[in-house]
Amino acid sequence: MHQVALNTHISDRFNLELENLRNSVLTMGGEVEQQLIDTLKAISTNNPGLAEKVILNDLKVNSMEMQIDEECLRIIAKRHPTASDLRLIMTISKAITDIERMGDEIERIAKLVTKQKIPASESIKSSMLQIGQQVTAMMRGTFDAFARQDERAALIVYDQDNRIDSEYKKLLTFTTGEMSRSGQSMEDWLEILWALRSLERIGDRCKNICEYVVSLTSGKDVRHTKLESLQQKIDDLT
Amino acid sequence: MLKLFERERLNLEGLSPEQTAIEVRDLNLRLGQKHVLHNINMRIPKHRITALIGQSGCGKSSLIACFNRMNDLILNSQTSGEIIIEGRNINHKKENLSLLRSQVGMVFQRPNPFPMSIYDNVCYGLRLQGIKQRRQLDDAVERALHEAALWEEVKDRLFDSAMILSGGQQQRLVIARALALNPAILLLDEPTSALDPLTTLFIEELMGELKKRCTIVIVTHNMQQAARVSDYTAFLHQGELIEFSDSDTLFTMPDKKQTEDYITGRYG
Repeated sequence: MHQVALNTHISDRFNLELENLRNSVLTMGGEVEQQLIDTLKAISTNNPGLAEKVILNDLKVNSMEMQIDEECLRIIAKRHPTASDLRLIMTISKAITDIERMGDEIERIAKLVTKQKIPASESIKSSMLQIGQQVTAMMRGTFDAFARQDERAALIVYDQDNRIDSEYKKLLTFTTGEMSRSGQSMEDWLEILWALRSLERIGDRCKNICEYVVSLTSGKDVRHTKLESLQQKIDDLT
Repeated sequence: MLKLFERERLNLEGLSPEQTAIEVRDLNLRLGQKHVLHNINMRIPKHRITALIGQSGCGKSSLIACFNRMNDLILNSQTSGEIIIEGRNINHKKENLSLLRSQVGMVFQRPNPFPMSIYDNVCYGLRLQGIKQRRQLDDAVERALHEAALWEEVKDRLFDSAMILSGGQQQRLVIARALALNPAILLLDEPTSALDPLTTLFIEELMGELKKRCTIVIVTHNMQQAARVSDYTAFLHQGELIEFSDSDTLFTMPDKKQTEDYITGRYG
């Protein structure tokens, strides 16, 4: 494993700039993680006020993406980073796009509460919250792997998405069955399906960031790698 | 909204006199028949690093030389307009040039230590000013060498010849010699072009420290260096000031097409 040493440049200012940049991504990640926790809480307690707060707070996440993007651009223009420094900045630039999209997905889920379209079925609701908890854990693991530039942790988190995907598929089948039996309107069901899809998409975004972490630390591009070969890599590590 | 990064963008045109180290008003310079600088107007902020960039012959070295009247040494040079430093127009004919050059230090491309000891090099200017007390000179030499990040390397051989120092050490010695006079402004004309890349980075780091105590104006051919070290950058072309703004903006979103062409290598 090869970590990008942020504090070993001759220029202290450059060290500081890279450190601040990395920390800002973690701040943004922490913000989005809290958004997801609040959204799940708003669903479980049927709290439209909290969901409204999540929706408004997404503007903050958007602003963070723009600021970090601008800082990446500035550092590239002024410092001409190379090798691992360049990979770090490119990783950050891509990761923040995924984090911002996670924020958008969370906003969509929060709208389920403000529009009063929470699933009436308790079993769907609790399964949804359960997947939500798994996604939150995955998100936390992703940012942790990013912070520590830990390739092994990133691959383990990457693997968690398979479980989330299979839970999602099971819930989707169950929900489709419930649709015909329940009294909720088709419009409500569509919103619920979209929210479930959003939850699953957050897992995919985490997976993307894990791929970037592996590329950053190993220098190998693992995007579009077949699951089996990646699984082999995880098995080799664990 | 949460601000993740602190960034300073002074309004250079609206700088107050307290914030301004050098104010240039309608500066024109002719060297013989050649009109080298055309109506330059700019305010260089205090305690910041300002870089002057542009193609060879654009007038950037001539401009920096105006700031301590080095152009006076060239025959047939004619200067008009005002340069305000420390509240006075230094282009005035009664300007005390010795005082000016102690307030505005200059370091050139090639390290030019005098053929004497390290100690004597640093206190050369002070002795010219009539300071003879050993204690005072010792203190000034130690302080200047510390500030130029050279003290640890030479403290045990202060009375050895300066000529045996390496290129990077000699350049830092020259910086120390300028700093001993406690200048308000330090002019650096291509200070690292004769040095290796690592020594260059050390000198650039040093500049970041030095700006806390004086204003730095640097002329450089190396655009990457200007981007790395400077807070503000001025782009000159054929004797005219094309653009002067904070370096973050100039190197990411320049306002003028000429600047864009030059920094992206589309020039000419």
